[in-house]
Amino acid sequence: MYYLKFGLENQVPNLAGLAIGQRDVYPGVQSLTIRNLEEQRYTIDLVNPLFQLLGTMDFSFVLIYLFPLVIISFGFNLISEEKESGTWSLVRSQSTSALLFLKYKLGIRLLSILVTLLCLLAIGKVYLAIPLDRHFLTFVLVSILYVLFWFVLTWWVVSFNWSSSQNAQTLLSLWVFLLLIIPAAVASLQRIWFPIPEALTAVMENREGYHSQWDLPKGPTLDKFYQKYPQYASFTHPEDKDFSWLWYYAMQQQGDEQAAPQVKAMQSKLAERQKFAEQTAWFLPSLHAQMTLSMLSLSDLQNYLNYLAAMEEFHEQLKGYFLPKVFDGTPVANEKWEAFQLEKFHDKPSKSIIEIFAPLVIVILCLLLWATFNYKKIGLNKN
Amino acid sequence: MIEAKHLFKRYGDHVALQDLNLKIEEGEIMALLGQNGAGKTTTINCFMGFVEPSSGEASIAGLSVSSHPEETKKLLAYIPETVMLYPNLSGIENLAFFSALAGLQYKDAELRAYLSKSGLQEVAHSQRVGGYSKGMRQKVGIAIAVAKKAKALFLDEPTSGLDPKASNEFSTILKELSVQGTAILMATHDIFRAKEVAHKIGIMRDGQLVTVLEANDISANELESLYLKSI
Repeated sequence: MYYLKFGLENQVPNLAGLAIGQRDVYPGVQSLTIRNLEEQRYTIDLVNPLFQLLGTMDFSFVLIYLFPLVIISFGFNLISEEKESGTWSLVRSQSTSALLFLKYKLGIRLLSILVTLLCLLAIGKVYLAIPLDRHFLTFVLVSILYVLFWFVLTWWVVSFNWSSSQNAQTLLSLWVFLLLIIPAAVASLQRIWFPIPEALTAVMENREGYHSQWDLPKGPTLDKFYQKYPQYASFTHPEDKDFSWLWYYAMQQQGDEQAAPQVKAMQSKLAERQKFAEQTAWFLPSLHAQMTLSMLSLSDLQNYLNYLAAMEEFHEQLKGYFLPKVFDGTPVANEKWEAFQLEKFHDKPSKSIIEIFAPLVIVILCLLLWATFNYKKIGLNKN
Repeated sequence: MIEAKHLFKRYGDHVALQDLNLKIEEGEIMALLGQNGAGKTTTINCFMGFVEPSSGEASIAGLSVSSHPEETKKLLAYIPETVMLYPNLSGIENLAFFSALAGLQYKDAELRAYLSKSGLQEVAHSQRVGGYSKGMRQKVGIAIAVAKKAKALFLDEPTSGLDPKASNEFSTILKELSVQGTAILMATHDIFRAKEVAHKIGIMRDGQLVTVLEANDISANELESLYLKSI
């Protein structure tokens, strides 16, 4: 049992193919022995940090970063191109509503982008065999709302009646601000406000807690073990021996016990980081869309935290099953090893419909109202 | 058909229009003369709904432009000093597009007829507007206005930059439209063209309509000297 590992897989939904999120950073499967948990929990293969720095090119990247650029190029000169080419006066005199003309113009562009978006999603759905369930439909709706947000943002900037170059500069600045500067600032604030020195100290405490037991009297180690697991009180360490598996696993347990406060603090700070990002995202549609797509495809930090909790439970189950057999010396041959398959952890997206849609819908409505006011100001509400 | 009552337009401290009153009946052509900045274009812009009057009323067929923008827009057409069209579309496609904006759908033959009537050579109908001269674009502009069957036509220095032949053709078309009952308000610097086509001539100075004359009652030379005195 010292070497034997049992796997727990953080099941990857097919939808994660569209939004990889943090799946490339955190492990999707972890193999555990019944020895102390903390030493094994974060033991993962190293990925070339340069590759991680580059990130992954998935659908969510295309949607979040590239679609807005296309939308900006489609809409930045909605009025100004007519003015700069001299057709605006004729357009206004011919159409009963110039505003309606602009809406049609933008509407055609919106339609072409939406058709492209839905085609990409349809291809992704078929290619990745994504089930047509609530989560996928929510994913599609969030993508559509995000596209709408950028169109409305463009509509809002255009409503200030600036020149083409001013509109382009403003929209590209907003793109840089919303997609590069703000997320980087949020990530920096997360690190500053919620530092996690416990990530290192937990490992150190765990190692110390376990290794120091070799040189200590066995009595106190066993007492602490019995206190945690009274069901094993009937098993005792043979007084005439230096080593027994009971004492060894009690010693392993001490590693986890000693690191427990740091582990708890680290997980709590990770949860706080996630909460902070979610709260900030209420005011930043780009961040919200990105986080929501990751949440729906179970590739966000919350999913990893849930997986860590499941790993702890899985480890306890393994110990609960095997430790009595180890302690009373049950022959290995009696065990049906083929029954031990890779266990799967099934997570579910955790946000409500309101939490998912409200931040995008509210911003879209506010921008639409503001734009309507601006169009009224420049006299386009009438004609 | 076209009427302005006590029309004022202020831009901050600057008064662009000052108590402007005018009336143009069906089939009547009125030319507005005046220096740059006299208020001719602002007057037209008030009727087009491009600018909101500070006070007073601009109306077409008895409907206030401010309170009935959509209805009045259906009744009027506009030809700017330089008609700018979509350069990648042909003359006929531009006409079809601008007619569609006004809610009018025409067959190909009808569109060609409007363009021909406006004096655009048939060979140019399907050519891209990017290669048109200013005169050719003006003719498409006229075709757009004619195709709209507007009851009121506003022209902002429409013959500026046109050669004499094109100007003459333009005048002929205006007279035809006038005979058909269209009321026309034309801002211009061209005193002789104004005398030739207009029934009434108004002279503007500093946002005010200082003189209104019957074109038949005055010769071109008298008009010129009166104009020079007035400004």
